[in-house]
Amino acid sequence: MSEKLYQIVSKVFNVSIDKINDDTNPEVLEEWDSFNFYVLLDEIEKSFGITFDLDETLEIKKIGDFKQIFDKHGIKL
Amino acid sequence: MNEYKLSNNENLAFFLNEAKSIKTNNFEKKIRVGILGSFTLNGLEETIRVKCSQKRIDCRTFVADYNQYNQEILKQDSKLYQFRPDITFLILDVRHILGELFFSPYSFSISDRKELIKTKIDEMKKLIKTFLNNSNSKLIITSLQIPSYSPYGINEEKEDWGLKQCVSEINNRIRDELKDNPLAFVYDFNEFIMKFGEKNVFNYRQFFSGDIKISTEYIPKFTDELMRYIYAITGITRKCIVLDLDNTLWGGIIGEDGFDNIKLGDDPIGRSFVEFQKRLLALNQRGIILAINSKNNFDDAIEVIRKHPNMILREDNFACMKINWNDKVVNLQKISQELNIGLDSFVFFDDDQINQEYVRSSLQDVLVVDLPKDSSQFSQIVTEMKEFDVVKITEEDVKRNDMYLGQKKRKELENEIGDFKEFLKQMNIEVNIQNADSFSIPRISQLTLKTNQFNLTTRRYQEEEISAFASSKDRIVECAQVSDKFGDNGITGVYIVKKESNEEWIIDTFLLSCRIIGRGVEETMLSQIIEKAKSLGVKRIKGEFISTSKNKPAENFYNSYGFKKIGDYWIFDTNQKIETPDHIKLRRNDE
Repeated sequence: MSEKLYQIVSKVFNVSIDKINDDTNPEVLEEWDSFNFYVLLDEIEKSFGITFDLDETLEIKKIGDFKQIFDKHGIKL
Repeated sequence: MNEYKLSNNENLAFFLNEAKSIKTNNFEKKIRVGILGSFTLNGLEETIRVKCSQKRIDCRTFVADYNQYNQEILKQDSKLYQFRPDITFLILDVRHILGELFFSPYSFSISDRKELIKTKIDEMKKLIKTFLNNSNSKLIITSLQIPSYSPYGINEEKEDWGLKQCVSEINNRIRDELKDNPLAFVYDFNEFIMKFGEKNVFNYRQFFSGDIKISTEYIPKFTDELMRYIYAITGITRKCIVLDLDNTLWGGIIGEDGFDNIKLGDDPIGRSFVEFQKRLLALNQRGIILAINSKNNFDDAIEVIRKHPNMILREDNFACMKINWNDKVVNLQKISQELNIGLDSFVFFDDDQINQEYVRSSLQDVLVVDLPKDSSQFSQIVTEMKEFDVVKITEEDVKRNDMYLGQKKRKELENEIGDFKEFLKQMNIEVNIQNADSFSIPRISQLTLKTNQFNLTTRRYQEEEISAFASSKDRIVECAQVSDKFGDNGITGVYIVKKESNEEWIIDTFLLSCRIIGRGVEETMLSQIIEKAKSLGVKRIKGEFISTSKNKPAENFYNSYGFKKIGDYWIFDTNQKIETPDHIKLRRNDE
């Protein structure tokens, strides 16, 4: 059930959802830059009703990393 | 699973993505925007370009590198100046300007604080001056945010040269400095913070991560504020608000509820309509035309407008009233014809969603307000509209309602007399031709920016361009102030002539505000150019008609006054005669 997370990423970065998986990172996805990452954080916070800590946001190196944070916040995908 | 929708449709992600695929071909309006900031403003440039393209403005941008605004302004050959912006936004923040004073204001003595603030003000003034000397661009500078925190807590307001007072002092002195400068504006950033709240606009996490001082979520809202200057400069301005009556200006339906039972006054619903009317009245007093488009028995509705004790807007506030059972779209078209205002200048308020949708789909130029059922929201909607800004509020704006009232009475006289020639005679029209001067230049520029229909070349000129023409020896810039027995129409006609040589003049601009077309004023203005040319031995006058989607009313102008078409130009041989209409009394202020 990673669908919702992938959909948000696909919408914010404006890329096809087929290109998104847990290993997606800025190296492989050129649409992911340092700035629109903030927009992505905004959108995920809004959509899941959570607030990331600063250090949590710094640990995110690939899409899959969001899942550990969700876990901490008690969100099951 | 359904397709995911972004949490709001003004999301920055939308603008970032949209900006990649903007097509600007065929946009008539163009603007070059410079962006200078003391912090990270990513996303602002993209959002400005998207919002411009939504209004059919071809927008090119230059964004200075992070915190390089000083260098861009101070270096005469900087990339900013090479870019030649029309408008430049200088977006500064209070932390950056105050430095250590922001955190520890009271580690400085009063006299040191005072001295430091004075230095900051002088630096900023100097920076602004340098920019204005080096560039023709308009400058919009944001004021500094008044801090919401002081280490002195409840004693902050007891301090001389306290933190907040220091910031206010900077803001006030910059405001004073720019107050009378037509090229520079202050955007009140505190107004933005008041509207949206510091806790929303400033996100500590984003600030620590990337020196972002306006959060990504609020960049689109901030762009909306900056767009107001772009709309004003490009002349995209709504001039007329058209209103429904039942459940729009008052609660209830006059035909069913009756005079005594409609809601307008001292109950919660009634108060919301009174407040809405007060907001509309203030816009009317500032030059926005009001009109009515409503399905009612005329007698029922007019009784409320004339006699209801709590009615704020009265008959004299409406330039045109269509209170009948006709189709609303037809009524709107008639209002547009009668007032001589294009539909693209209209805003339509109607509580009925079906009417909204009908007008929206039939008349795409009209801005149809998405008015909810709940009347308590009406006032907020009208005060949040950003479509009424102009570069400068002129005397004509303030007097406009009186002018349209005169217009209404002229129409009545015309209908009464029947014979148009006789009507013109009885009007006692006076045309006063004036050289452009410091009083008329803002208005002349405004007319070139806003006039679409009777405008032969549709060349748009900013105030400083008109100033330059007026002081140049090879240009004539004159305007016509028109009055008649019903009142003063103000400055409503403009021509700019380029003296190409001793033999030949070119009419660069010739325009007339639509509401006075067809009364001989255009002829009088043209004859002024021709007579002046003759007296100076000029042999030919060249006119141009540059066709746009809106200036059809001016198409046959040169043809009907003896100009001959040769190539792209209309040529007038000054040996020919041009008649001046005898019902017009002509004066020149320089004679």
